[in-house]
Amino acid sequence: MAQHTLEVIVENSPGVLARVAGLFARRAYNIERLSVGPTSNPETSKMEIVVNLDGHVLEQVIAQLDKLVNVISIIEILPDEVQPIVHDTQPDYQN
Amino acid sequence: MSAMNGASSLVASLEAAGVDVMFGIPGGAILPAYDPIFSSSIRHILVRHEQGAGHAATGYAQVTGRVGVCIATSGPGATNLVTPLADAAMDSVPVVAITGQVPSLAIGTDAFQEADIRGITMPFAKHNYLITDPADIPRAIAEAFHIASTGRPGPVLVDIAKDALQKMTDFNYPTSVSLKGYQPRTITCAESITDAADLIAQSSKPVFYVGGGVIKANASRELFELAQLLGAPVVTTLMARGAFPDSHPLNLGMPGMHGTVAAVTALQKADLLITLGARFDDRVTGKLSTFAVNAKVIHADVDPAEIGKNRFADVPVLGDLKHTITALIPALKESLAKNRPDLTPWLRQMNSLKTTYPVGYDIPTDGSLSPQYVIERLGKISGPQTIFASGVGQHQMWASQFISYEYPRTWLNSGGLGTMGYAVPAAMGAKVGAPDTTVWAIDGDGCFQMTNQELTTCALNNIPIKVAIINNESLGMVRQWQTLFYEGRYSNTNLESKRVPNFPMLAEAMGCIGLSCDRPEDVDATIEKAMSSDNQPVVVDFRVNRDAMVWPMVAAGTSNDEIMIARETAPDWGSQEL
Ligand SMILES: Cc1ncc(C[n+]2csc(CCOP(=O)(O)OP(=O)(O)O)c2C)c(N)n1
Ligand SMILES: [Mg+2]
Repeated sequence: MAQHTLEVIVENSPGVLARVAGLFARRAYNIERLSVGPTSNPETSKMEIVVNLDGHVLEQVIAQLDKLVNVISIIEILPDEVQPIVHDTQPDYQN
Repeated sequence: MSAMNGASSLVASLEAAGVDVMFGIPGGAILPAYDPIFSSSIRHILVRHEQGAGHAATGYAQVTGRVGVCIATSGPGATNLVTPLADAAMDSVPVVAITGQVPSLAIGTDAFQEADIRGITMPFAKHNYLITDPADIPRAIAEAFHIASTGRPGPVLVDIAKDALQKMTDFNYPTSVSLKGYQPRTITCAESITDAADLIAQSSKPVFYVGGGVIKANASRELFELAQLLGAPVVTTLMARGAFPDSHPLNLGMPGMHGTVAAVTALQKADLLITLGARFDDRVTGKLSTFAVNAKVIHADVDPAEIGKNRFADVPVLGDLKHTITALIPALKESLAKNRPDLTPWLRQMNSLKTTYPVGYDIPTDGSLSPQYVIERLGKISGPQTIFASGVGQHQMWASQFISYEYPRTWLNSGGLGTMGYAVPAAMGAKVGAPDTTVWAIDGDGCFQMTNQELTTCALNNIPIKVAIINNESLGMVRQWQTLFYEGRYSNTNLESKRVPNFPMLAEAMGCIGLSCDRPEDVDATIEKAMSSDNQPVVVDFRVNRDAMVWPMVAAGTSNDEIMIARETAPDWGSQEL
């Protein structure tokens, strides 16, 4: 399985980290690495989440993450390429 | 904008959100809110247990399509709401729960009656709030109603610290809600509609796999038109009973663990599942790897995370189902004009299964009362406008199987969480939402003993529901599993409820009419007697045979292909080449 890095922009509100961490825990997805930091906008924070998941499961993680009301956007950071993959979590078909 | 305290701002916000009724119990932390509630236009129904408030809000929402509201104090009041909120989440019911919280400075100190209800409900609530500043109350309420009722509906909790209710603030209800991280898709993309229509027009064995989402989206009429247009069989899941009329010749009934042979087989043998607001729950699919192996899947849903979750969707269709089906009708007409497969052989096969294996039951030879017969008569005598709410267990499955549901929102049950105790309070909420409709709770003797205290609430608040207790003196569904899988070792499933409690007396004690019936020849007269009194709740203790079992059955974890129509009896597939 390949590592994937998700850059998740969230509302800077209390409990957001618990919501994200709880989602991974209850759906039994493992987090390899997680960091949270500020963005230039004080109303949002940026999470970088590294997961060891592929394909369908990765899509599910992203879809479930996107359902959190405090999650604004999810971008997959690709190490080798310039263009990040923007996941709008709808099946690819709908993009 | 006007100055008032947070409590008045809360009640003004609820009024502005269009709330006409809420169910709850006061206590210390929420007490400031009960003062303006006293003079509000909102009807507050004082329940006897917060779980009752939560299920009542759910029943109200399921019948009316509007948001149900419940309210409780901090700590135990809030934790008593956990079960109904989890229940509402599993069945996608729009509910807003308001809870008081200890004063903001006490939060985190293990103060008296402190419980982190936001943290507790985080895993299943669609969203939740902890409000410590009174200025945030109107926006939180507006957002809560918006989130609960749009997209895939669900429960939202707003926890408000006591001092936020007491402090002065300016009331200013937002005219619109905009949330960066929450924008449910309503309009279905045209391309996916065309692809779905094209795939349908290539299928010779299609089935409409209809879930509760069709009812939530108020799309029954559209579904009716679509099903007529294609002329394909329809199966309605436990959450979708009533979404398509049971009397319609295309309706094969309920699929799943206790589904009809025709419905289960139709899904298994189909070449295309036209999935509308259903979620491939394990109780429907059986062993997933053997489910509908030859079928392509069109999956239409408003929740992107459901599409492809359990089963790959060949054509995902994201959007509000009412819009989706409305758009699919002309698209399908166009596709069918180019190519119209002959569905006659497929329909003939399914109809033959439907007539060979209708849901049925054996009449006990000892003259005792058959639970299925009681439920069948309840359906026939009450008629198709009646709203039925059931508990969880054998009686629930029989109520789904033996009553013909013709209209959406006439069948309420706890499908996803399987919450014993749902029926009485949900029926109460349903009756409040539809006061002119007959509401029957069909409850088990076990379930009834979990939440019957709300009959007092019903009696005192002029909520004349009717309750049929299917008293098999046991936790019947568990007992059935013990019969089948544990060599009849009936560990802790004997409730002895034909001895204690005396259900009619218990009903009378709570201000209801109590009746009982244990002979088949008295069933009709007893039901008619219960139907004749409409200003008092009625409870009927139907004392039934305890050995009746729910059939057909697909044992948990096995393949739908192994459906049994009776103990150790598979359908006779004979020469059926499906
Ligand atoms: C709150 C809760 N506890 C336990 C269960 C497990 N359970 C499922 S059905 C059932 C028996 C229900 O008994 P009863 O209400 O008498 O209905 P019957 O099956 O006899 O019709 C039990 C204990 C449950 N679903 N919910
Ligand atoms: Mg029972």
